[in-house]
Amino acid sequence: MSDCGCQKAREDLEEYLHHELCKEDAADIREHLQSCPDCAREHRVGVALTDTVRRACRDEAAPEELRAQVLTAIRTFQASHTL
Amino acid sequence: MQTVLTRGPSWAPETTRHAAADTLDWAVMTAATDDLDVLFEQQALPYMDQLYGAALRMTRNRTDAQDLVQETFVKGFAAFRQFKQGTNLKAWLYRILTNTFINTYRKKQREPFQGTLEDLEDWQLGGAVSRTAASSTRSAEAEALDHLPDGAVKDALQEVPEDFRLAVYLADVEGFSYQEIADMMNTPIGTVMSRLHRGRRLLRARLSDYARDRGYLSAAPGVHDSGSIA
Repeated sequence: MSDCGCQKAREDLEEYLHHELCKEDAADIREHLQSCPDCAREHRVGVALTDTVRRACRDEAAPEELRAQVLTAIRTFQASHTL
Repeated sequence: MQTVLTRGPSWAPETTRHAAADTLDWAVMTAATDDLDVLFEQQALPYMDQLYGAALRMTRNRTDAQDLVQETFVKGFAAFRQFKQGTNLKAWLYRILTNTFINTYRKKQREPFQGTLEDLEDWQLGGAVSRTAASSTRSAEAEALDHLPDGAVKDALQEVPEDFRLAVYLADVEGFSYQEIADMMNTPIGTVMSRLHRGRRLLRARLSDYARDRGYLSAAPGVHDSGSIA
């Protein structure tokens, strides 16, 4: 298991997923994923996890009153600092 | 025609600067400050929804989230002169948000065992995904994650310890680089990686459990992987 590249791939999968690997390392992983169904499946779960969290957390709208509160707070700060 | 067009942008501000220099005194200064204020409102305020979303995941309640966002904007406004136009404003605002959260709100609602969590080994954190999970289970897992309701995902994220949760949110939801997150959380990049890894691992375990409990992920006979370790 360790000399077929799986161990190294598993260690780097998360960085690969987050585009943190250098070009050469990323290419190595990509190549490994093409030939190793098991690591490819593990990678798919990783991607699905990211997609799922992103999807669940997007489109959170700030409450109406927050915009007004922020503007007021900024104006108040401005007024107290331009005298 | 071609030359005029290319020279246009660099030439235009030049005259403005000359004109401004002629009418010196504070009227000009005020105008410049006003411009900066307007610029802040134009450029920074559109991030309100996004910042609020992040603040909600950080503080885990709406009142604190609103206060946190408000404080972030006031601090940003006060420091906007130091922001270098053309650099990443979103990352700049998130740095203020994260810093403010860590320094202010976290103290208020500190989780008792936060400090020691970092030192725990992976297996001690519990909820570890079995390394030996059958691959058939794993492909079903990806499928199940896709179908989980948003509310369940947010609930699971809330249960992930704070530093891990922040790292996951900043990387996976907002797409910040490890270096940007390290800057925001004031930690070395290695710490970001370990928090992210642990956060994702916990989240995955919780979501898989949820999926199994609710029947999104059927525990096929013989591959019920939770039996292998837990």
